[in-house]
Amino acid sequence: MSTKRVLLTGNHAAAWGARLARPKVVPVYPITPQTPVLELLTEFQAAGEFDAEILTPESEHSVMAACIPASLTGVRVFTATASQGLMLMHEVLHYAVGARAPIVMVNVNRTIGSPWAFWPDQTDSVAQRDTGWIQYYVENAQEALDTVIQAYRVAEGVSIPAMINLDAFYVSHALEPVAIPEQELVDAYLPPYRPAHFLEPGRNESWGNVVTQEMYYRHRRDIGAAMDRVPALAVEADRDWELATGRGWGAIERYRCEGAEIVIVTMGSMCGTARDAVDALREAGVAAGLVKVRLFRPLPSAALRKALAGARDVLVLDRNFSPGVGGVLHQELRAALYGMKSAPQVHGYLAGVGGVNVPPDRIVHFAREARASDAEPEPVWVK
Amino acid sequence: MAFFAEGREVQSFATYGGARRGTPVSSYIRVHDKPIRVRCDIEKADALLCFDASLLEGKFLATASPKTLIVVNSRRTPAQFAADLPGYRVLPVDGIGISQKNGLGRIVNSALLGAFARALEAPSLETLTRVITEEAPKKERENAAACIEAYRQIDAQLRKAAA
Repeated sequence: MSTKRVLLTGNHAAAWGARLARPKVVPVYPITPQTPVLELLTEFQAAGEFDAEILTPESEHSVMAACIPASLTGVRVFTATASQGLMLMHEVLHYAVGARAPIVMVNVNRTIGSPWAFWPDQTDSVAQRDTGWIQYYVENAQEALDTVIQAYRVAEGVSIPAMINLDAFYVSHALEPVAIPEQELVDAYLPPYRPAHFLEPGRNESWGNVVTQEMYYRHRRDIGAAMDRVPALAVEADRDWELATGRGWGAIERYRCEGAEIVIVTMGSMCGTARDAVDALREAGVAAGLVKVRLFRPLPSAALRKALAGARDVLVLDRNFSPGVGGVLHQELRAALYGMKSAPQVHGYLAGVGGVNVPPDRIVHFAREARASDAEPEPVWVK
Repeated sequence: MAFFAEGREVQSFATYGGARRGTPVSSYIRVHDKPIRVRCDIEKADALLCFDASLLEGKFLATASPKTLIVVNSRRTPAQFAADLPGYRVLPVDGIGISQKNGLGRIVNSALLGAFARALEAPSLETLTRVITEEAPKKERENAAACIEAYRQIDAQLRKAAA
């Protein structure tokens, strides 16, 4: 299968993923650092290469409010946002899940105001973890492209929307080599969206009626059951993609974890830097490894317990901060490992919050520090 | 793009937000033979390309070590830089002069890239001028000519220093 390798930023790679998935409706609102996604899609459309209706409502709230009914008519929907835009969508993010609308959205992780800033920080999307959206975190531009396409397979398989998160700057604006798959390959992987239920005059189906307690309860339970199917479906979607393209990313990925005493766990762009740190630690004789959490919602807890069994120390690096609690992935991981027989001790380091630079030698230092001490119950601020 | 055209792996990103006309901006590039995984700022650079000599100070200059190659857009001589910034390897190039001579006004990008490529000994002048000719939004020939002239200016400077 021929593919062309070109230089793309993470944003443009995400736009390419959207183009190849052939959505029919794209409501979108520009915001730094996501705007290049929107720009490239409009260029595709102007060149006659992208057969989608692009809507530009007056706010991100209206964007999501447009995505939901568009999706309910039975067509594929794509959008992209970042930071404040995601915050403004918050109310309707819940609604999209309730409506079982398998929208796929790219979110560029950027600090939330105030104060105003443009740096990579994942607080914007981890703060949406209870909305019911599937959440992926990607490490590079290629993974961004691939994950947009995979996410449609998963989202449409369970009728739950999916969010693909890429770090501002280090992924969104990093120009690097990316292989663009052929349209035929993507078409074979991702057939047209044909849901069993959709809104159309004359079909006598509707959405949005007031329900009883019992109906609401049942609906929430159904959403939970759909979410429970996601980890296996995500693994399958990734395996099929790997068969087609040679590239697989996993729901979680274990990097050099064989016999690891200390395992670093993180999400997004920092995984790339952590790989170099793990290599440096291994070279220095420290049995270190990395577990990359690519699928964060639902959290693949069973896979994480298995991946981390046998490690003495787990070091979570959180590029987000929940005041009063600490790092969100740290909390999630402690909960996932709780009750495990001889569970590893979990260190939670707030590293890179606000976009603070985290080079490999700092991660090496953090790992050495964690290995030499007992895990603190409280999060540790590091830089 | 020229490094990529020569088969190297690259990663390049620029700061945005403050990226408005007239304010200092910075961008980074990594070049390697293997895929680049690391995703962080460059705290110690092997080479710096400085578009305006007034920026050659503080945080930016702090990324340089005595080994770092610094190409700077300036009319001043290597000797003047050696006196002002002892311990640094500064190669000045008259980017503005070259650009104006080639009908590009104050747009110094292609000239500075030519100078930088000579200092780094990569990518080749041939690849660089080809990529510039393909990618320049207009005045393709003028941009390529500015690139070549700046390349030669640094070449002469390095030959003189080696002699």
